[in-house]
Amino acid sequence: MRRYFRLHRIFIAQYLKRLMEYKGDFLLGAVGLLFSQAIQILFIGIIFSQIPRLQGWTFEEILFIYGFSLIPKSIDHLFFDNLWMVGYRIVRKGEFDKYLTRPVNSLYHVIVENFCVDAFGEMLTCGLLLGYALPSLNLPFYWYTIPVLLVVVVFATMIYTALKIMTAAFAFWTKSSGHITHMLYMTNDFSKYPVTIYNKAVQTIITYVIPFAFTAYYPASWFLTGKDPLFCIGGTVIAGTVLMAIALFVWNKGVNAYESAGS
Amino acid sequence: MTGVKRFFRTYRQFTRSGMQELVAYRANFICFFIGEIMSAFIMYFVWKAVFLSTDSETFMGFTMEDMVVYLFIAFLTGYLTYSDGAFAVGEEIVDGSIAFRMLRPCSFEMCFLFKELGSRIISIAMIFVPIVAGVEVYRFCVTGEVRLDPVCFGFYLLSTAIAYLISFYFNVCYGYIAFFFKNLWGTSLIKETLVGFLSGGTIPLAFLPAGLATVLNFLPFASLAYTPVMIYMGMYPIGEILWRMALQLFWLLVMIGVSKLVWNSAVRHLSIQGG
Amino acid sequence: MENMIYAENLRKEFKKIIKEPGVKGSVKALFKPKKEIIKAVDGISFSVPKGEILGFIGPNGAGKSTVIKMLTGILMPTSGKCVINGQIPQENRKNYVREIGVVFGQRTQLWWDLALRETYAVLKEIYEVPDDRYKQRMAFLNEVLELDDFITSPVRTLSLGQRMRADIAAALLHSPKVLFLDEPTIGLDVVVKENIRSAIRKINREEGTTVILTTHDLADIELLCERIVMIDKGKKVFDGGIEELKHNFGNVRTFAFELTNPDDFSKLDYRTKYRLSDDDISVERDKSCVTVKYSTDKVSVEDIVSYTLSAVHVKDMQIKDVEIEEIIKRLYRREVEV
Repeated sequence: MRRYFRLHRIFIAQYLKRLMEYKGDFLLGAVGLLFSQAIQILFIGIIFSQIPRLQGWTFEEILFIYGFSLIPKSIDHLFFDNLWMVGYRIVRKGEFDKYLTRPVNSLYHVIVENFCVDAFGEMLTCGLLLGYALPSLNLPFYWYTIPVLLVVVVFATMIYTALKIMTAAFAFWTKSSGHITHMLYMTNDFSKYPVTIYNKAVQTIITYVIPFAFTAYYPASWFLTGKDPLFCIGGTVIAGTVLMAIALFVWNKGVNAYESAGS
Repeated sequence: MTGVKRFFRTYRQFTRSGMQELVAYRANFICFFIGEIMSAFIMYFVWKAVFLSTDSETFMGFTMEDMVVYLFIAFLTGYLTYSDGAFAVGEEIVDGSIAFRMLRPCSFEMCFLFKELGSRIISIAMIFVPIVAGVEVYRFCVTGEVRLDPVCFGFYLLSTAIAYLISFYFNVCYGYIAFFFKNLWGTSLIKETLVGFLSGGTIPLAFLPAGLATVLNFLPFASLAYTPVMIYMGMYPIGEILWRMALQLFWLLVMIGVSKLVWNSAVRHLSIQGG
Repeated sequence: MENMIYAENLRKEFKKIIKEPGVKGSVKALFKPKKEIIKAVDGISFSVPKGEILGFIGPNGAGKSTVIKMLTGILMPTSGKCVINGQIPQENRKNYVREIGVVFGQRTQLWWDLALRETYAVLKEIYEVPDDRYKQRMAFLNEVLELDDFITSPVRTLSLGQRMRADIAAALLHSPKVLFLDEPTIGLDVVVKENIRSAIRKINREEGTTVILTTHDLADIELLCERIVMIDKGKKVFDGGIEELKHNFGNVRTFAFELTNPDDFSKLDYRTKYRLSDDDISVERDKSCVTVKYSTDKVSVEDIVSYTLSAVHVKDMQIKDVEIEEIIKRLYRREVEV
């Protein structure tokens, strides 16, 4: 375990060296993400310029949920972005061979090889939103608020990452699975708004099938209202754990089915 | 006449290969499409909640019905006018295969254009028909009458076609420029977001402050999505439709001119670098 | 001698979906995909003693890389087993790969955007090479592969020859007991090829590293390998030393001569004279130079020479021993019965 932390540090150091060489690229990526979030928030602003509440939620509460959704999303984006490449390129082009000839867990190796600092664009948006919304929300603060937040963030990130691991692993059978990852990943946008605005079918899907609702709305609503801790917080923990267990199982099966490429 | 015939014979193969490529990668195409259209559905629910939260029948002049039509037709228009030219050009410049393009006796842009048209033909069948049908069935269910105006629809198709060409040339220009940045992902994200916003694809321009909306209405971006969508919705009287489309044509000519300029300077740059 | 590599009845099958052309074919493939099982490796057994350099040859698509990938633990065999260094690659992969080094000539394991030295620093951590051992090892690899000139350059700026040397060094950093080289000399110029061959020989001699290499360059085989295994269409077609190969299949001789008068060529007709088929003899002519390759089973040296000398005037002549390339060419074309 300690060795893996050490390796992680080395990879981050190497990554930073590479980063220095392509500063401009990363800046552009981060600005792009910041910008695309800003437009969406402008949209929410326009809505609230005409109505005081959206189905009972105030502007600040909506911004809080939106901002909260960016915490696990940006963490996953920062650390686990290379999983996209597994589905798009690494398996199809046979580049996965390399990871299998190293005395390190292949999943770990793929993940640490790249980081995506573009995610700082999302983190910045997240910070600005929460920084703006929190002071006017006057949320109750208990001794366990911070620990609960940490637990929620960890398991919510696991929901994102597990989904990416699982869909990336499909590539071991189908050669290419980036489009499947993309399709499922896009449903995360549903989590930016309160689940109550959706119809029953959508609610069921984002709660029980692709449980992105647990990455933002449910835990955020607990912080806002204090209601249903068992479902809102416990659900996040269970969803994260179950998805990750399935994802790791699929990944390991996939590695054995890997067919490489070329002659 | 023979010149025109020859022209189409030369480029027909590109259209065919574009179609075949899309068919071959149909699973990718469908999955990407589902992923993208999800955002339109999220917006639909948000708007539904907005209209439930207000006593007024309209939101800044739009009814719920208008809003749904706007959302999905704007999505559709954005999809139809989306051009991959930038990535194609950028990648070819980076890996140097653009040199082969220059060896072929056909126009660089035309090859891309006709190839994209091929994939467009398939996507019209797979996307255009279901979305328009869905929107019209929705309108029929809500209002109890057929709301699709054939004249507006005809103008919409024409306007979307021009919008696609503007988008195509815009993206070709962008592709040449992106080459100098060497970053396609970051700059594309910025470009997509900016174009989505300025063209009214994300938020109807009518919702923006009056001064800003007027300016944006005259910029080329409005021609990409806002104009065709408003035509579809029957928001413009016939006179305005005609002058809006004249504006679209004006921007198309400007884009073609600019792309020629950029292409010429890119060729010079390439020959200096030695390809 | 103990066996370092032992493979028994290895098989690997791939499923392939056959697509018929046209739109109709695509639709059909969508609903009722036609699957075909391809036997990439079809029951191959062999063993390699410790310290040997084994050449693995065969035509394109014969299944060489698939065997290598099974031996290195990348691919799961459909059936059969392989034991390398006392371990089954797929069983405890992480532990197993510590003892092996792998180079795929067509692909690099170096970090593209980083200076070459950084790649080694990362690999040092991955393979947990202690500091002093690492220093020693880098010095040795430097000496053998001459990395010094480009160790500070970013990998993407290296020439193919430099990249290949760097890749081989990367595979050797952790002093593996077995080295797998998949086409290590592909696309390289003669000087670099020679450099790489001598490095392989040196490492094999000094450290007793067992080497298994695939190649299309027969010079690699002749200069490096004590033994070759040839496979074709997934099956083993030959296994033995180079001398054995020459002895068993070396029934081919080359008789080359230069005609005094080029027009005399039409007077020669070996086929009718000795009733030989196209398989038994081939005659090539370049102006006044004639090359005759013939099977010694069917006709003797003496017959060929005396017939030639009696029929035409010869300025110069030469009888060459069998060339390994010729044998292999024939084996690839399945002209020799195995």
